[in-house]
Amino acid sequence: MIGYKSSSRRGKIDWLLLGAMLGLALFGALCIMSAVNALSLSNAVVRTHLIALPLAFTAFLVAWSFNYQIFDEQWKPLYGVIMALLIGVLLFGTYQRGSKSWFVLPFFSMQPAEICRVLTILVAAAFLDRQGRRIRDMRTLILLGVLVGPIFGLIMMQPDFSSIVITFPSLLVLLYCAGINVFYLALIAVFACVAGFFTISWTYLYLHPALLDYKVLAVFYKLGSSVWFMGGFCLLLSIGGYAAWWVFKQLRIFLPSFYFVLATLVVMAGFFAGVFVDHQMKPYQRKRVEAFLAPQSDPQGASYNVLQAQIAMGSGGVLGKGLFSGTQSRLGFVPEKHTDFILAVVGEELGLWGTLSVLGLYLLILWRIAVVAYLASDRYGYLVCSGIFGMFLTYMLINFGMLIGLFPVAGIPLPFISYGGSNLVSSMLALGVVQSVYARRITSA
Amino acid sequence: MAATKICFNNRLKSLLIAAFLAGGVVALRLADIQLIRHTHYLQLAEQNRTQVLYQTAPRGRIFTADGAAIATNAPAFNLYYLSAGPKDKEYLERLAQDFAPLLAVKPAVLLEKLNKGVRSGKALALAENLSPQTAISFKELLLYYPGLYLVEENKRVYPYGSFASHLLGYLGSMEGKEWKNRDLSLDYRLNAKIGKNGLEKKFERELKGRDGGIYLEVDYRGRVKRVIEDRKWRAGHDVYLTLHYPLQRAAEEGLKNSKTGRGAAVAMDPRTGAILALATAPAFDPGMFIPYSDEPEVKSKRISEYNLAVQGIYPPASTFKIITAIAAIEKGGFDPHKTIGCPGHYDAGSRLFRCWSTHGPVDFFGGMAGSCDVYFYTIAAQMGSAAIEKVQRMFQFGQPTGVDLPGEKAGNLYGPTKRARNRSYWFIGDTLNLSIGQGELLVTPIKMAQFASAVASRGKVWRPYYLDRLVHSQTGKVLESAKSEQLGTVDIQPSTWDLIFKALKHTVDTGTAARVKLKGLDVYGKTGTAQNPHGADHGWFMAFAAPEGKEPEVAVAVFVEYGEGGSSAAGPIAREMLKAYFGITDSGRKATAVSAQTEQTVGERV
Repeated sequence: MIGYKSSSRRGKIDWLLLGAMLGLALFGALCIMSAVNALSLSNAVVRTHLIALPLAFTAFLVAWSFNYQIFDEQWKPLYGVIMALLIGVLLFGTYQRGSKSWFVLPFFSMQPAEICRVLTILVAAAFLDRQGRRIRDMRTLILLGVLVGPIFGLIMMQPDFSSIVITFPSLLVLLYCAGINVFYLALIAVFACVAGFFTISWTYLYLHPALLDYKVLAVFYKLGSSVWFMGGFCLLLSIGGYAAWWVFKQLRIFLPSFYFVLATLVVMAGFFAGVFVDHQMKPYQRKRVEAFLAPQSDPQGASYNVLQAQIAMGSGGVLGKGLFSGTQSRLGFVPEKHTDFILAVVGEELGLWGTLSVLGLYLLILWRIAVVAYLASDRYGYLVCSGIFGMFLTYMLINFGMLIGLFPVAGIPLPFISYGGSNLVSSMLALGVVQSVYARRITSA
Repeated sequence: MAATKICFNNRLKSLLIAAFLAGGVVALRLADIQLIRHTHYLQLAEQNRTQVLYQTAPRGRIFTADGAAIATNAPAFNLYYLSAGPKDKEYLERLAQDFAPLLAVKPAVLLEKLNKGVRSGKALALAENLSPQTAISFKELLLYYPGLYLVEENKRVYPYGSFASHLLGYLGSMEGKEWKNRDLSLDYRLNAKIGKNGLEKKFERELKGRDGGIYLEVDYRGRVKRVIEDRKWRAGHDVYLTLHYPLQRAAEEGLKNSKTGRGAAVAMDPRTGAILALATAPAFDPGMFIPYSDEPEVKSKRISEYNLAVQGIYPPASTFKIITAIAAIEKGGFDPHKTIGCPGHYDAGSRLFRCWSTHGPVDFFGGMAGSCDVYFYTIAAQMGSAAIEKVQRMFQFGQPTGVDLPGEKAGNLYGPTKRARNRSYWFIGDTLNLSIGQGELLVTPIKMAQFASAVASRGKVWRPYYLDRLVHSQTGKVLESAKSEQLGTVDIQPSTWDLIFKALKHTVDTGTAARVKLKGLDVYGKTGTAQNPHGADHGWFMAFAAPEGKEPEVAVAVFVEYGEGGSSAAGPIAREMLKAYFGITDSGRKATAVSAQTEQTVGERV
């Protein structure tokens, strides 16, 4: 890998990674100032961010100087901390924007889910490190599910949908890099696809009842509501699974029957997860899915946000309108401009160079994390770096993808750029851990 | 170190490559949005943030040849409430109380409108198209109400009311089809007024001008942040007509005060074909379609758009005897001094044709002056109808004059050739009817004016025109100017013209057209009374005049529907028109044209 040789010299810190991080943070501070210029609470937002920055940097320094191997050793207490934080926020937290995910303290408030995101990766990496040679067994996967299941459950109870959106793919990346059997990973993907397929198509039919005139679609829609239809569908799936096994047997391709049972069960589970999500979905979430499926259908409604963000970016052009002079963000056409849609402000005021710089710095960070992963002195370091790599990759893809219309709007901040102290602290903490892995690459060899 | 390396795999590397590929896709899409579709999005962003309070440009003015502005503009005001101003409840209530009486609405209605404006956050038009008087009464109040904004616009006015109404046309709101087919190169808005008829319609493109506007920057809720630009309008171009103000005025007043108040009068310059007057009665006031909003509404807006001067067709009656006479003289062997006895009727064998009076023995001049039917029956019977038809064709009867006005009727040529073409027979009775301009012969008043000026100019058949020039409102450059066009020539001997002139002068001096006799002028004229089987007869009068011993300068044709006598009904109108043209007052003194009125209206540019 590029940079591998030169980086193996003894050094305590990866300057490129640090530089990219600080560059993004500087970008972010400027854009937040510009974005909230017109808001009445502008001072409060900027002040909070300027206080959060040194705090986050302190977290970074602490994580860097701390030996990451202790997390491996003490993963059980760490798991206890996660559970305590998440249970604590459900008991003592405050409602903000419809979810109970904030600790409000006299001087500052924080979102424990943000920190838990990083801690979950540390714990999961420690668990996988311990599994060693059994990593390809299904047991490992099930045990990991048992381990992180409660964490997801507690986050869902807040509910903080966006945390799941980030943590789940991060864990998938971690699992993949840990060397899990790709067949299981594929099953997980099938599960997610089946669940997503049913949820999205039912939502679409729900919003366009005229389509139910077609018999096939009407039967399809009933699958989600009638117990009899569900039962019938499961029976059909079982028969299908058996048929597949039989066909393969006749073809003299001998696969363990266990695989077919598993595949059938996973599809079923995906189906029921789809039913569950469909029943749980709130109208505004349905609107978001709708806006993603057909953004032009309702320009004043749900897709308004994405459209305005794109107008902001597009009107910025190559060089941008200059800091503090974007009309779309200053006059309030871009929503959530200092948090979820900060990239639109970057695009409008700094132009294509701004957005490409942010993208470039993110790719730089990802590259450095990957390099550090391969330099790590032990398997735990490699796994931690992989998980953190997955986290930032997810952030990057969802944020840019949302803006350019590849993903539905999910309300995910962009680390280092968006306003939000908890997010900033946990993101810097994560990179501090990566630096710690880098700093200790030789010592335990 | 080597030992631990074994636990690692290449999966993270492949993920990194995938991340770079995804980054490349994102970068391409970013370039697509920010580079390729930049202009599109920039436009959308501009639309988002700007709101415009439009100001209608003044329409181009329309002038007569002597400088009277017959269509011009007056200021009109729109009152806007900008929600950027104060919006507390007390302020709005006070505002509603103070302004409601001035805007002639109930305070509660106004308050509701204001509240709606505050809620929407957009600029709200409280009142549009206010008269300057009302606006002046606001001016002082506006000092106490900072949220209000008075925007000046322009509104078409017609200072002389119904003056030349059928020529000018009128303005109106755009209706469905007009909006759909509007000229996209001009900045029409939904509430724009466009020319519906006449010159207002014909020169719509030139008269329109370009609207101005106040461009405001608004935020996402439509709240006004600042004024970006105050764009001035460009006025429409000015149209100068060939109309002669006093002459047109005299024609209109004469028609209005005539026996039936229905008819048309057209005056032309026989030297060029320029229309000096084109009047149709009953007229209308084009201004009533576009009142100020604080003016009382005119209840009935029904007008007669029917432009009788170019659309009405009637038999020319005795005025046609000029053509019969020309035909007879040209045929040869005509002795103007030979008398013919008029017993009050003409015996055509199978039928008796009546004369309107019993003239006794008359020669050519007496026959013309007394408009003796028997005299013309006799000469027509002698020469035959083909000769009359030939002269008719030289004067281009049965064809439109080609004046640039909508819906002009061609009239109808009457003669044996035409009849033969229709596969029908020609009888002696037809010849006799033709000779005195009755029967199937039909002409429009403007055709008669063309005819009169053709006689006056000794044979030049002009295309009548009314546009003198079109002047650019800013540069003063002439965009389009008059085109005098001769359509044809009546090719007859000069001696024939002399005889006709002498006979027509005799008619004015001693005969039926004596009403137009004016001191110091050579006036030539002929009356006509068109028989109408459905009611009272129509009155015709055609005349042309020259200062003594000079070329004729003006030719007029007057038609009064159901006016009974040509001399009694149409004659006085023709007299007033000639007097107005030559500036003769009743005391016989020449008055200076319309200077007083012109001074007042020129430069009334708003």
